[in-house]
Amino acid sequence: MKLSNALRLYRVRLRARLVQECFAVLGIAAGVALLFASQVSNASLQSSVAQLSRGIVGNATLQLLARDPHGFPASTLRQVRALPGVRVAAPLLESGANAIGPRGSESVQLVGADASLKRLGGVLVRRTELAPFGDIGAVVLPAPLAHTIGVTKFGQDVTLQLGGYTVTAPLYSQLYKRQIGPLIASPVAIAPLSFVQELTHLHARVSRILVQPAAGAQAQVRTALDTLAAGRLNVEPADYDEQLFAKASAANNQSTALFSVISALVGFLFAFNAMLLTVPQRRRLIADLRRDGYTPRTVIAVLMLDAVALGVVGCALGLALGEELSIHLFHSDPAFLSLAFAIGSERAVSWQTIAIATGGGMLAASVAVLSPLRDILSRDPLAAINPREGFGSARAGSRRALAGLVCLIGATAILLATPQAAIPGMVLLVAALLLELPLALSATLALVRRLARMITSATPHVAAMELSAARARAIAIAATGAIAVFGSVAIHGAHDDLLTGLDRAAADTNAFTDVWVSPAGSYNLLKTAPFAPRQQAELERLPGVRAVGLYRSGLLDYGARRVLVIAPPRRAIPLLPTAQLVRGDARQATARVRAGGWLVLSQALADEHHLHIGQAFTLPTPAPSTFRLAALSNNLGWAPGAIMMNADDYARAWGSTDASAYNVLLTPGVAPIQGVRAIEHALGPDSGLAVQSADRHAGEQRALSRVALARLSQIATLILLVAVLAMAAAMGAMVWQRRPRLAKLKLEGLPRAELWRTILLESVLLLCVGCLTGASFGLYGQQLADRALVSVVNFPVVYSVTALNALESLVLVVGAALALLALPSYFAASVPAALALED
Amino acid sequence: MLELRELVKHYPAVGGEPVRAVDGVSLHVAPGEMVALYGPSGSGKTTLLLMIATLLEPTAGAVLIGDRDVSSLSEREASRFRLTELGFIRQNFDLLPGVSAIDNAILKLLKSMRWADAQREITPLLERLGLEQRLRHRAETLSMGERQRVMIARALSTKPRLLLADEPTGSLDTQRGREVLELLQSLCREQHVAVVLVSHDPMAALYADRVFALRDGRLSDHETDQLHAPGQLPLSG
Repeated sequence: MKLSNALRLYRVRLRARLVQECFAVLGIAAGVALLFASQVSNASLQSSVAQLSRGIVGNATLQLLARDPHGFPASTLRQVRALPGVRVAAPLLESGANAIGPRGSESVQLVGADASLKRLGGVLVRRTELAPFGDIGAVVLPAPLAHTIGVTKFGQDVTLQLGGYTVTAPLYSQLYKRQIGPLIASPVAIAPLSFVQELTHLHARVSRILVQPAAGAQAQVRTALDTLAAGRLNVEPADYDEQLFAKASAANNQSTALFSVISALVGFLFAFNAMLLTVPQRRRLIADLRRDGYTPRTVIAVLMLDAVALGVVGCALGLALGEELSIHLFHSDPAFLSLAFAIGSERAVSWQTIAIATGGGMLAASVAVLSPLRDILSRDPLAAINPREGFGSARAGSRRALAGLVCLIGATAILLATPQAAIPGMVLLVAALLLELPLALSATLALVRRLARMITSATPHVAAMELSAARARAIAIAATGAIAVFGSVAIHGAHDDLLTGLDRAAADTNAFTDVWVSPAGSYNLLKTAPFAPRQQAELERLPGVRAVGLYRSGLLDYGARRVLVIAPPRRAIPLLPTAQLVRGDARQATARVRAGGWLVLSQALADEHHLHIGQAFTLPTPAPSTFRLAALSNNLGWAPGAIMMNADDYARAWGSTDASAYNVLLTPGVAPIQGVRAIEHALGPDSGLAVQSADRHAGEQRALSRVALARLSQIATLILLVAVLAMAAAMGAMVWQRRPRLAKLKLEGLPRAELWRTILLESVLLLCVGCLTGASFGLYGQQLADRALVSVVNFPVVYSVTALNALESLVLVVGAALALLALPSYFAASVPAALALED
Repeated sequence: MLELRELVKHYPAVGGEPVRAVDGVSLHVAPGEMVALYGPSGSGKTTLLLMIATLLEPTAGAVLIGDRDVSSLSEREASRFRLTELGFIRQNFDLLPGVSAIDNAILKLLKSMRWADAQREITPLLERLGLEQRLRHRAETLSMGERQRVMIARALSTKPRLLLADEPTGSLDTQRGREVLELLQSLCREQHVAVVLVSHDPMAALYADRVFALRDGRLSDHETDQLHAPGQLPLSG
């Protein structure tokens, strides 16, 4: 068939089923939008870290990296430059800081560099002046950041809180998008190296040296750098930060990806439901074309035109909708990851993201359109309209139920044996859910029939009969609700279990102090910029203060992970959050860690390094130290893993007596707020230190956890929303299309009210079957997700069966869909009985 | 039992005379009597049936069932009338696919009795219709004749006073058509049901007590004894 004729044929058919096609387009658009928005959100975080990293390192491929914030002597630069094969070596001194202006404050990465960095060609510094600005220290800020804090004029002071100091620096210039491209959204402040050394009190020190080897000299330079590092510095690829971030954000990204696939599936089912409305016409078309002598190939080509038209319009609409969602709803908030990585807020839309979302949409359209493929390829030209053993046959039903059981057994095996394969497990669960749904519907209808026998009313009988009569469509609609509620319950459940675990971990890691005194900054909670603890004696003398301990904490690059190290004062009680220990004797571990030379490692780290309790090993700290493993813990909420030791051991291993915070214990009877005020007063306004009660500190930790997990909640809510719309639309269309049959029932004498009740009962049954089955499988999915979070990422998850959440989702979907359906079904029930005689 | 008094239905026409679909039809059908109506397309047969079935309000005249005029019932009363006093059989079998023959047949009874009672009530009728072996078979597995018999069972399930049959043999072969007409005739006589049968099938006249022709909305009498064999009906369309 000529393309022009196929197009004409499509146009003619489209006119006859425009509404149904619009539903299908909406379904595809919803799936594409959710897939696109969540992908953009994931990719944006990773891309932001990558852009900033590449914007600085340029063509460097290796780096010599300090293991602590104090860096290493700048004189090492000369040695690096002298190594054979080194083409360019550029020093950097980086420090976390809190930038404050008249309009607000922002956590930034302060980057000190000299003119040699430009030779590496990084976008961020290519057009930035890095020589001291006429002997006056000054900083350069990206324009949006400068605008946010309100420091935009040349020479205007920006206040920087860093390492327990508060300093000011004048603004030299702003960086604009034309200069640095997408890095415009990076939270970074750039200044000449010497100035940053002065600000941070790290004179003649650098935190890393970027190295660009000459062509072919990569291996040679790497070996030479290893020798130079002598086990006290790290030699890593220049994109090391990207690798570490990928590891740190993997859990969140995986869960987001999984649930965006579930949301896409809901969208696809929405489209599939809409397509079912046109199945009779499409089957008739297939039979007509085959009877008239067209080959199966031509029939497929004609139907593919439908798929292309649907897919293109659906994808275009979905991408536009997804763009809006990613801008207004799916914020790429890095939350607590910001304490270890400099992450901007620029959205990254890659061609891969567009391709995945569009590919998904086109696939959904093709599968839906070509669903009668077996009939198209059949030898019998009229197979598409001839009755055959199909969906409703007992044999097919048994086969489906058996296949569903096999999937369920597979998912259970994964849950019990290999929870790290959570994604295949979830896919198996979804498959089992879809395969068992017809059984659930049959069982429900049988139950309804049984119950209906006890009462005198046509409503339940007619509802059960109607659902039996339109079984394929009923299952498609129920499946939409089932998948949506499954996703929502699994996501919400795992999310809540994780939050409960994180909340408890936050409470436990704040249990050993009454008041925290630590460098100010939005993400300075457990890990902070270290400072010289000069005020300890002063604080101890304050009335109401019982004791002041030094708390130390930092990040350590250990293998492929940027690990959080927590070191409470040796005398802290409790020294270890025993509820967070997953293996080992808590009392013995506490005693050992208090005595020194022992530490607690999160289980994933121990597994990765093949360590067991009691084993001695060397930790790659700035002053490499040998520890023995006292116990295993969860990751305390930090995805890459955590280490706990006492603060004295930390000082030894890091070769520094700097503290990360003061832990202040108050005299019994002194309220935390009184203690906080007294300490704030004693420190004065320019200390650069923030004072918080332990409760408030834990509260901020909890708030950060919630921000980090917000995207999952958003996706779960959106899935429910799409499901409600999808089900209401599909059921509404189904009811409307059934008007001639309703007219026939009216002809038999069933009044409007009875018909309306019947339609609503049908809807309730469908919604309840779908949502209840989805909720049951969702609770199973929650256990699978929980197990994966615990065993793979070591998150402090508290297992639960959130039946209440499941019930909430169920009531929400059923209630909302029914509310949307009430009016159309009333109008459908008002169909004139005479319509029955018009066929 | 059924009495049509000067029944009129006019449809307004744009810029012209109103269309006289039914134009002063009077007819009396006694309990147990079967009346056949013949007429070409557009003669007003369907309009007449719609008015009798309370689905269309007449422009003038009355439809009396016993002494009650049903031509202007409220929607609720009309539904009640169709449910309890009227049976309707059509050429297209309005059976629910995926549902058994017996469950399809008890549809009208469910309003007033429990499922088990309804099944008990309908079973003798289905057996009488020769469906005793097919009670639990799903609608789509039944033959055309069986489906029509299920429809007859449903129509007669509430023991209606009046049965309307619109082309009841239209989808059946001659043998099946004859069987259905025989059943209709004997059941209606046994149950004293007045039957109005609209058909193109000449054979229907052989089973009807009286035969009428409908042309341009007007009714004219024809004696059944004038009809000798199928195909000789002067008004069959």
